[in-house]
Amino acid sequence: MKSSRAWLPRWLTSEHPFPWLLPVTSLLIVFGLYPVLYSLWLSFFKRNPATRKEKFLPSWNWNKLIEDDRVWDAVQVTLTYASIALFLQLALGLAIALLLDSDRKGFGVMRALMTLPLVVPPAVTGMMFLLMYDSSFGVISNSLYALNLLSPSAPILGTGSTALWGVIVADTWQWTPFMVLIMLAGLRALPREPFEAASIDGATALQSFWHLTLPMMSKIIALAVLIRGIDLFRIYDYVKVMTDSGPGTATETLTAYAGTVYFKSANFPYASAVALATLIVVLVTASVFIKIFKVRF
Amino acid sequence: MASVKITDLHKTYGTTKVIEGLDLAVDDGRFVVLLGPSGCGKSTLLRMIAGLESITAGDVLFDDKRVNDVHAKDRNIAMVFQNYALYAHMSVRKNMAFSMRLKKTDKKIIDEKVKWASSILGLDDYLDRLPKELSGGQRQRVAMGRAIVRDPDVFLFDEPLSNLDAKLRVQMRTEIKDLHQRLKTTTIYVTHDQIEAMTMADEVVIMRDGVIEQSGSPMEIYDRPNNLFVAQFIGSPGMNIIECRVTGENGTLYGAAEGLQLPLPSGANVSVGQNIYYGVRPEHFRSSRQVAASAGGKAIAGAVRVVEPTGPEIHVYAKLAGQDICSISRERVIWDPGEEIFFDPDLDHVHLFDGVSKKAL
Ligand SMILES: Nc1ncnc2c1ncn2[C@@H]1O[C@H](COP(=O)(O)OP(=O)(O)OP(=O)(O)O)[C@@H](O)[C@H]1O
Ligand SMILES: [Mg+2]
Repeated sequence: MKSSRAWLPRWLTSEHPFPWLLPVTSLLIVFGLYPVLYSLWLSFFKRNPATRKEKFLPSWNWNKLIEDDRVWDAVQVTLTYASIALFLQLALGLAIALLLDSDRKGFGVMRALMTLPLVVPPAVTGMMFLLMYDSSFGVISNSLYALNLLSPSAPILGTGSTALWGVIVADTWQWTPFMVLIMLAGLRALPREPFEAASIDGATALQSFWHLTLPMMSKIIALAVLIRGIDLFRIYDYVKVMTDSGPGTATETLTAYAGTVYFKSANFPYASAVALATLIVVLVTASVFIKIFKVRF
Repeated sequence: MASVKITDLHKTYGTTKVIEGLDLAVDDGRFVVLLGPSGCGKSTLLRMIAGLESITAGDVLFDDKRVNDVHAKDRNIAMVFQNYALYAHMSVRKNMAFSMRLKKTDKKIIDEKVKWASSILGLDDYLDRLPKELSGGQRQRVAMGRAIVRDPDVFLFDEPLSNLDAKLRVQMRTEIKDLHQRLKTTTIYVTHDQIEAMTMADEVVIMRDGVIEQSGSPMEIYDRPNNLFVAQFIGSPGMNIIECRVTGENGTLYGAAEGLQLPLPSGANVSVGQNIYYGVRPEHFRSSRQVAASAGGKAIAGAVRVVEPTGPEIHVYAKLAGQDICSISRERVIWDPGEEIFFDPDLDHVHLFDGVSKKAL
């Protein structure tokens, strides 16, 4: 056996990790590292829209970025969007997971049904909610009219103060099941004994939840927050489909702004800088979070 | 404090019957030890009393009040779990203090109680460690501490000393007994260890396959076992049991087995031809080099196999009518393997059991 492969270099034989890592590494290099580095390179050029010529001027776009109010608006929108959506999805996800964490009949089916929203493409979800929000025939709008919570003169997605919420609801509808899945996996893996001991010690259900479930789930919750948080920072499709950053720039997130600069202004170098800024914000936030909550993968 | 009463209790898992019609009454302040082979349902019974396991049929009563539907948290019991069930994310101190914290007990009282428990249990140096940083025996003591800081109506202990070394076990045994004598809290204690059962219990309950075989004071169980199972289960080394058939000779009855004629106590409730089990505890089976005078010429002779000196006494194992027999003596006799040995049962302490029903005669 051994001798038949002896002519191969050692790093190509199965005992060495390198050949096994090669496929995924090359994918990452081609589709991850190269575009990032290329964007970085691109962001060092100043583009003249009239002549469509680009000139190497490394600090130009980055200075512009810092002075661009729209960027800071977008940062604010993104942070608001991500934190509200994250909180809603986490709270709902944990609550639903607690309800579904049972071995009784029917709960298995319910757990499976829970995952259905995840198979709908985000753009389709956006369109679905767009229809439901429609100010004349949308079911959500009409229900809110009936409850006197909304007036037809201020459509949900057409009003600055409610548009972001409208998008958040769609995102939450789609992604809460993901949280439920993670939380359920965690809850189902919790040992039963400490909870028995706690009830012997006189703990109510709420006290058990607070003193046992939450601390025992903390690692999983932190991981879920990290995964979803990063995802939420990159929010693009819902905004694009539902409001296209409007009204005005009320729902313009960082990625949406980058998209606008790319595809509408065709200012590729500046768009690269905006996109990279998003990446930097995500990386910094995530590593601070990982440090603080000691998340392990 | 409370009395505990269990009437016609049943527990089944699917089709597996674990407890079958069990009755038990534990008076207020008593120390009852449940003893039985592995898998006989001791833990299940304890967990049903605690309210952690659903009851298939029958009742559990505390102070004559039915508690079947009372949640575990409202039964005011303290329990040491067989698997400890510690709170993995809490320090030893927090584990012990948890029940008091829930009750919003004064911080100073909590500290005092934890200190008191940890000094009894020898855990002073470990109070700030997590359970995963402790040895098995230390964890078990934390589980114990969590129970004794409480002031419950009933203590439930599920083999609380099983993982301790011999010395610590004796020490803890004394502490528990002392605690009980001071607090007089009703206690139900599960163990495999007969010495624990005998030394601690007001009442010993012998279980087998989900039913109670016998209950009574330790000495009662030891001196008057109801049936062959209890006789063999209690005592170490176990009771010598010889299967024999009752024969008569000149009006005197003997138990005959493979060339042996075993003297029966006078007035024994047996009849000629009956198959019986003849039981003698090792300490009631005197051994000597000469045929005992009382044997009336019917020597019970065997061959020495193994001799085990334990210090205070000497255990002599011998082959007798093809069976292994043990005799305990306090005399310093030196035996050689293979040597001929004569036995002399103490007729006041011979136990006879029916060959079919295995009940005491
Ligand atoms: N969840 C369960 N499902 C099915 N059978 C069970 C379950 N729990 C326990 N049993 C069975 O019930 C019987 C009694 O179990 P239990 O734990 O009460 O035994 P035990 O007397 O405490 O034994 P040990 O001395 O080994 O702790 C065992 O035969 C066990 O296999
Ligand atoms: Mg058990």
